[in-house]
Amino acid sequence: MAKQKFIDAVRGKRTETAPWVPYAGMHCAFVINEPADKYLQDPQILAKGLVETAKKYKADGIPLIFDLSVEAHSVGCELKWWPDNVPSVTTHPCSDKTPAEAGLQMPTKDSGRWPVIFEAARIAKPQLDELDCGLIGGLCGPLTLASHLAGVRIFTDVIKNKEFAASVCEYAGKVGALSAQFYAEMGCDVIAIIDPVASQIRSATFQEFVTPNVSAAINAIHDAGKTSTFFICGDATKVLKDVCALNTHGFAIDEQLNMNFVRDLAKESGKGFGGNLKLTLALSLGLLSPREDAIVSLAAGGHVGYTFAPG
Amino acid sequence: MADKITIDVLTLDSVQCAACGYMMESIAALPDDIQDMIQYSEWSIKNKEGIGKFIEMKGKVLPTIAIEGDLVFESIIPQYEELIDEMAKRAPSEEMKNRLMSLRDEGFDFAKIAENLKKAGAGLKTKAG
Repeated sequence: MAKQKFIDAVRGKRTETAPWVPYAGMHCAFVINEPADKYLQDPQILAKGLVETAKKYKADGIPLIFDLSVEAHSVGCELKWWPDNVPSVTTHPCSDKTPAEAGLQMPTKDSGRWPVIFEAARIAKPQLDELDCGLIGGLCGPLTLASHLAGVRIFTDVIKNKEFAASVCEYAGKVGALSAQFYAEMGCDVIAIIDPVASQIRSATFQEFVTPNVSAAINAIHDAGKTSTFFICGDATKVLKDVCALNTHGFAIDEQLNMNFVRDLAKESGKGFGGNLKLTLALSLGLLSPREDAIVSLAAGGHVGYTFAPG
Repeated sequence: MADKITIDVLTLDSVQCAACGYMMESIAALPDDIQDMIQYSEWSIKNKEGIGKFIEMKGKVLPTIAIEGDLVFESIIPQYEELIDEMAKRAPSEEMKNRLMSLRDEGFDFAKIAENLKKAGAGLKTKAG
């Protein structure tokens, strides 16, 4: 296990071998045989699952949690809990009003599940340090949080009602910056801005509503001396140049992208990159051999700035 | 001839994947008058039925919204008007097409999302097997 190797790779540096980072998320609950809803609300159980999973997979880095409802919940969105999955956001306070009109405040360390996450980090961090495993803090990116706040209308508003969309995305960006500060304070080594729905828009929309609203979080990460990365899901081909133009140290993608295309773009931009292991096709469904997929990914990723991780 | 427009949403899992969730919500938040004209389902590739549908429809990326068998929105969450236009193009009758176009300025309605998502089986068939 090698935390520094992981940090170096995210920063685009050459590493002797590729660091290995399982984005374990709810799988940590499965590893210790606990239901997801209980796991995410109990700091002792969360810390236990995290450390056990890091040990089991000999991880060089691992996310503290991988749950994009944390920020939405902390500002008042209601959740539906599932025993085998992350919670879903079920209410959208900005479905017919701006954050200011809806009276949304900035979250504090006492809002929503932040106390659980702070406590879990306090318990797990020394144990992960002992294992030489890096800790990743993952915050909800501005467009995904804007979707949670306003619902699916945000994807129409970014075209038809730009002023409203800007007010929601700007608020989401400020909440994200606060999350970045929280994760830095918890001692996370790498802080990821996770914006999966940012792959579901056009490049011009990304530049108008995502780019300006991640800069505060990136600055907060860098001001704290931490390493920054941007996670995007889905077929992000159309916005990947925009992702590379962000001021983060690195980025991560999912299994739907072509690894050679991603690697070349990352190298041009001097960014670290990771992801792309076939999470569904190989690890979940077994339609591809996970071993062969891993070999192909390692060969394509190389030794410069590459993190071996699921997509 | 079918009296409803068939919409299939190909997903990883609308609970776990935010993009998939908002693809589903774009259909579930269509107003009542449009709900009467459509029938829709989530097809998660975490189960065999969903994999079968993905292959049958020649899906390329997730998430995707297919309307009447055409892969229309592939990794693009649609605007309200785009959805109406694409449904109207594939409406089984002139009458339905005109009804859809008359609702083009209506906008999303969030009142019955939970009920509509449940009806479509969203999040209920996302286990591998």
